[in-house]
Amino acid sequence: MSSGDIKGFYRQKKKNSGVTKPSSSSSSSKKSKSKHYTGGASVGAPSAAQTPALVTRGGAIDLKEEYGDEEEALRQFDMDMKYGPCIGFGRLERWERAAAMGLHPPPHVREVLVGLASGSTARSSKFKCLWEGLV
Amino acid sequence: MADSEMGEATLERKLAVYRNLDERFVIREERYKGQQFSHIYFMRLHHMRSQLQSLIPKWKPHLPVNTVLGLEEGKECIIVGTLYKHMKLKPSILDEYSKERSAIPLVKPHNFMSTDDHLILEDESGRVKLAGPMLAPSAFVTGIVIAVHGKETSEGDFFVEDFLEAGLAPQVDRPLDSREDKFVAFVSGLSVGTNAFNPLQFQLLVDHITGHLGDENEQRISSKIVRLVIVGNSMHISHGFFSGQTVAPKDHAKLTEPIRELDIFLTQLVAALPVDIMPGCNDPANYSLPQQPLHRCLFAGASAYNTFVSCTNPHHFELDNVQFVGTSGQNIDDLYKYSDAKDKIEFMERTLRWRHLAPTAPNTLGCYPYVDKDPFLIESCPHVYFVGNQEKYETRLLQGPDKQLVRLISIPRFCETGVAVMLNLRNLECHALSFSTNL
Repeated sequence: MSSGDIKGFYRQKKKNSGVTKPSSSSSSSKKSKSKHYTGGASVGAPSAAQTPALVTRGGAIDLKEEYGDEEEALRQFDMDMKYGPCIGFGRLERWERAAAMGLHPPPHVREVLVGLASGSTARSSKFKCLWEGLV
Repeated sequence: MADSEMGEATLERKLAVYRNLDERFVIREERYKGQQFSHIYFMRLHHMRSQLQSLIPKWKPHLPVNTVLGLEEGKECIIVGTLYKHMKLKPSILDEYSKERSAIPLVKPHNFMSTDDHLILEDESGRVKLAGPMLAPSAFVTGIVIAVHGKETSEGDFFVEDFLEAGLAPQVDRPLDSREDKFVAFVSGLSVGTNAFNPLQFQLLVDHITGHLGDENEQRISSKIVRLVIVGNSMHISHGFFSGQTVAPKDHAKLTEPIRELDIFLTQLVAALPVDIMPGCNDPANYSLPQQPLHRCLFAGASAYNTFVSCTNPHHFELDNVQFVGTSGQNIDDLYKYSDAKDKIEFMERTLRWRHLAPTAPNTLGCYPYVDKDPFLIESCPHVYFVGNQEKYETRLLQGPDKQLVRLISIPRFCETGVAVMLNLRNLECHALSFSTNL
């Protein structure tokens, strides 16, 4: 999967580069960068050829801090058309709706969302869908 | 109660057991969180698709069911999806921003069909244009869910060889053991507050129903009326008042006079028998479907009685286990604008066969953006389906393939025709009550 390659690619670069970004970046900036990231030209680029300058221009370094496997699973849940459109609808409510319709949504997604319910406010952005505030 | 003049044996009005089933149309727990209409379409597709999936094996058992994205050229299969009808003449908000404003013709108010209309089928994965002579675009509208059998052509269209609509929903059996005649009266389009409203004509109707008119035979007939349903547009508030501007004190009377006049008539009615009143497009209720019940405070006199029931539009109720579903006409009027049929009853038949009361909602008919349901889906076929505010009185008894029997009634506007409708609960027969003040 291409996102797996990218994660590996950026992980390498983060170790080498000296750039540090503030850890509490706002959710919208994280999301706008992620939008750039999924469609950007760096997808599929050969890892060895990229210089640190190009990588930081993409601003993808701070992505790693908040975009982990959990968020990846949540985004896959958002994008899965089987459960219907995701825009304008909280993720937990969408999961509950899918369960009520008998579509058997993946249970680990619900665990992630319920586990976040007691988390810090910085993580409350995970309850909103991928496109919240962008569309 | 209808008393005879002499004070002899009092005639008692018949009673019927009433159950109001409007709960699914009442907006209570729903909260608007910025959602769009895609959710209601998704719920509609999901629900109708599962219904069609159970019917496809009986229709064409040997063909595979594909998604739109899974179509292969030349391979015969069945796809299930929502229809979208592309109409060139349909007014679009974007026309206002078009550069060639002058080239666009004046919108025809009654019908937007053109020979260029074509149908597109859409599901979660994609959409495909439907080609072929089997599906005539004039009979279909955006928003219905059907299954089509055919194959993809080299141009990327889907050539339709056959199609399947869900058909009439299964019906609960009507009780056949009633021996006595009980009538339900329907009236629509009273339009109190307009020039077309004739108070004497409406007073005649009120007097007839309450039993103040005629001799003992007449009163005996009136005592068999168990309920009156007022199907929308009971008053007419001039649309100029809806613009949001402050109403000048001298115009206050124009706002309140029609409501007070209607309340006086309604109080006479509710004192005599149970009355259901539904909102219509000219009533002081919300615009989008489902319209919420008219507020009690509008009817200071009538709301004091427990026989006064303010209902939603669409309205679903049960009388002596006979299922009634009806609307004030917006759903059928919208179908009339975007498709063609030989009469309004045929539009009503189509909505029953498509198992959806208002398929054009939310495309061209205002609708609440539900997230987790589509309340207009018809899950169980009613016994009586009525639509108000139409041009003329029409009725038909529709028979379904699974022994369903539905009485379809098109109720005319009372202010124009002076016609109300009476339905006999025992045998579902219908007749018109005509009131005239022309001597």
